[in-house]
Amino acid sequence: MINSFPSVKRRRQTNQAPGPKEEVRANVKNFELQKNDKYYAWLFLGPSFLVLGIFVFYPMLRTLYLSLFLTDSFGRPTVFVGLQNYLNLLTSKVYMASIQATGVYVIGVTAFTIICGLLLAAVANQKIRGIEFFRTIFTATMGVSVSVSAIFWLFMFNPSIGVLNQIALFLHLPTVNWLTNPHWAMVSVITTSVWMHLGFTFLIFFGALQSVPKTLYDAADVSGASSRYQFFHITLPMISPTFFFVAVITMISSFKSFGLIDLMTAGGPTNATNLLVYRIYKDAFVDGNYAVASTESIVLAIIIAIITFIQFKLLAKRVNY
Amino acid sequence: MTKLISIFKPHWRWGLGLLALLAIIGGFAYGNQAHAESKRIKVVFWHEMKGPGQKQIDAYVKAFNKKQSKYEVVAEFEGGYNGVIQKIMNTHGTAASPALFQSMDISTSQMYHSGFTTPVQKFVDRDHYDLDQLVPGARAIYSRNGKLLSMPFNSSQTALYYNKAVLKKYGITPPPVDPTYSDITRVAKQIHDKSHGQVKGMTMEAYSWLFEQLVANAGVPLANHNNGHTGDATKVDFTSPAAIKAMQWVKENIDYGDFINFGSGGNASANEAASFLSGHLGIFMQSSAKTGQLYKVLKNNLGVTYFPRPDGKKANGIAVGGASLWISNDKPAAVQNGAWEFSKFLVNAKNQATWQAKTGYLAVNKHAKDEPLLKQLFKKSPVLEVSGNQMLRTTPNDTNSGIFIDGLVPARTSIQNAMQQIFAGQDIYKSLKAAENSYNKVLESNNRANGRG
Repeated sequence: MINSFPSVKRRRQTNQAPGPKEEVRANVKNFELQKNDKYYAWLFLGPSFLVLGIFVFYPMLRTLYLSLFLTDSFGRPTVFVGLQNYLNLLTSKVYMASIQATGVYVIGVTAFTIICGLLLAAVANQKIRGIEFFRTIFTATMGVSVSVSAIFWLFMFNPSIGVLNQIALFLHLPTVNWLTNPHWAMVSVITTSVWMHLGFTFLIFFGALQSVPKTLYDAADVSGASSRYQFFHITLPMISPTFFFVAVITMISSFKSFGLIDLMTAGGPTNATNLLVYRIYKDAFVDGNYAVASTESIVLAIIIAIITFIQFKLLAKRVNY
Repeated sequence: MTKLISIFKPHWRWGLGLLALLAIIGGFAYGNQAHAESKRIKVVFWHEMKGPGQKQIDAYVKAFNKKQSKYEVVAEFEGGYNGVIQKIMNTHGTAASPALFQSMDISTSQMYHSGFTTPVQKFVDRDHYDLDQLVPGARAIYSRNGKLLSMPFNSSQTALYYNKAVLKKYGITPPPVDPTYSDITRVAKQIHDKSHGQVKGMTMEAYSWLFEQLVANAGVPLANHNNGHTGDATKVDFTSPAAIKAMQWVKENIDYGDFINFGSGGNASANEAASFLSGHLGIFMQSSAKTGQLYKVLKNNLGVTYFPRPDGKKANGIAVGGASLWISNDKPAAVQNGAWEFSKFLVNAKNQATWQAKTGYLAVNKHAKDEPLLKQLFKKSPVLEVSGNQMLRTTPNDTNSGIFIDGLVPARTSIQNAMQQIFAGQDIYKSLKAAENSYNKVLESNNRANGRG
């Protein structure tokens, strides 16, 4: 469908032409390692191996090790229990609820951030008088830290004197327990998180929209394509790499959501917003149960590895052009 | 880039010279400092007090260092209660560990079992220190088998607050100073009815400490072996009739519509206080440490009572919360003596009087209330005395002296979950039973990991 536009076709062709990658490969073949070079290789790689070993691989292996033990009040592994911790965790209803909540949160935040960011970017991309002002406003959330936005939203969500419930009272609508009702709490933290991600997402999408060649739209106008058709068949395909980028970045960032949860709900009410990362923190550093926290860390690492794999397999293919 | 470097090139010798000079000056300064300190024995004190508490501690340290020339106390702020336990566990036996540290009430069992501290009783016996000057309830929760483990310090209890202005506005009789559940329910319902729902009657944060104290005030233990005081606890009981009754009391108010749910955690306590101060809420329960802050705004419109008790039962009294001071045993005797001297200094009547006046924590020294500072304060605003009286009149026993278990934090988490479930309308017994079962599992594996039980 994109092929109806000549300039896009040209781009595809240039992409398929033999690129610099082949040249590099050829050079590598000609380059043979000599014994002396091995010494240099170790010299140069050694420091980074050392740093990675101490700060990445050792903690990872230690986590794996701890997850196979019970730890005492001081975090020392004392009783070997094999895979019992994993078994307990995966049969725990509370943990499964946590996984589900994380899924809802990550998908919710990613989807709404992309939709809202794209909408704002599309609006800001129009030539309207004074739009520069709004472009600045839309990016404003980038400059707001997690703690500030959490506190700001907490004020709005306050059940008795918060502005949201005051508006509801004024309009004779029922008030909502934004952060104390398990269902609404999730909605509330997703809203806050989307709001926080919006500035950055908007900026990226806006940049992408600006870089779509105008000639494409001119050609479409000549062929009489509607603006909706243009959006779905020119704009979206042209910004698809950005789309992929934003999806991955937002997903990763919402998976890591910690400050927001800690400040707004602390995982409550009734564990409704006890996301996987927050849970690990709570189990390790609040409850002092390192074995359970280690087990959860390993499970989370596996989950993230699977998701990343799927993302690259699925989404990378959808980058159209 | 090369341009940038070339700008600095002519000056690099100067820079090097300056650095060398700085190093020499620094070296001298450090040497001098080390020299001055070596005369005194350094006692490092870790604490977790922010705001007025931190200010006050710094003032005491200054006064102590001025008063005598043998020891030099250095106070270091270490963040939250939870973090400091981990830090103690990780630094014990190294030069980085403190000589004296503050640790929270529910870490008592863990600190006792760690073997990292010298029980304060050792110094008490040696110096014939008069323990009777300390409030019995405050001593009880930091004792094992009648021996004092650590020095009680910043102390508070749960209290019930009501807004007198709201009650006056609607012509409601205030609750008595030692109220029962139904006394509070009556007031809460009346506030709701007479304000036509404009003002909420009461709230209770989903906070395990409050639940524990309701049960304690009924005189019922939450863990076996007398709350762990007479042996290692192996089972907890969150579903005793007293616990169910306490939650039924809350439920009655929820069902009636006068109860407002603020959830749990720091936000909940901030929100309920904001709501209470702005006259949107009549009654709430929180730490007595809030009294000063609330009094600042409401003045004589602030009402304070003891923590509620079940109907038809005499109040058993509630546990003293807060934190105590522990002496590390990885330091030489001279340093430990310094830590002991400083802890005695902190809890003398005069310092405890300023401590209560400035921070709102309850004085752990019985004689503090005879100090002119507190006498005047209580005369001017009697409401500030209520929680202290509640603590003084309590005779400690195993049910009102805390729970002696390592790792109580997860128990609190599961109780808080149950409370949130109940506040959201779920079955009381089922919610509490689930919390009980989940913590019993934690307790069992904890005991196994620690070779106990």
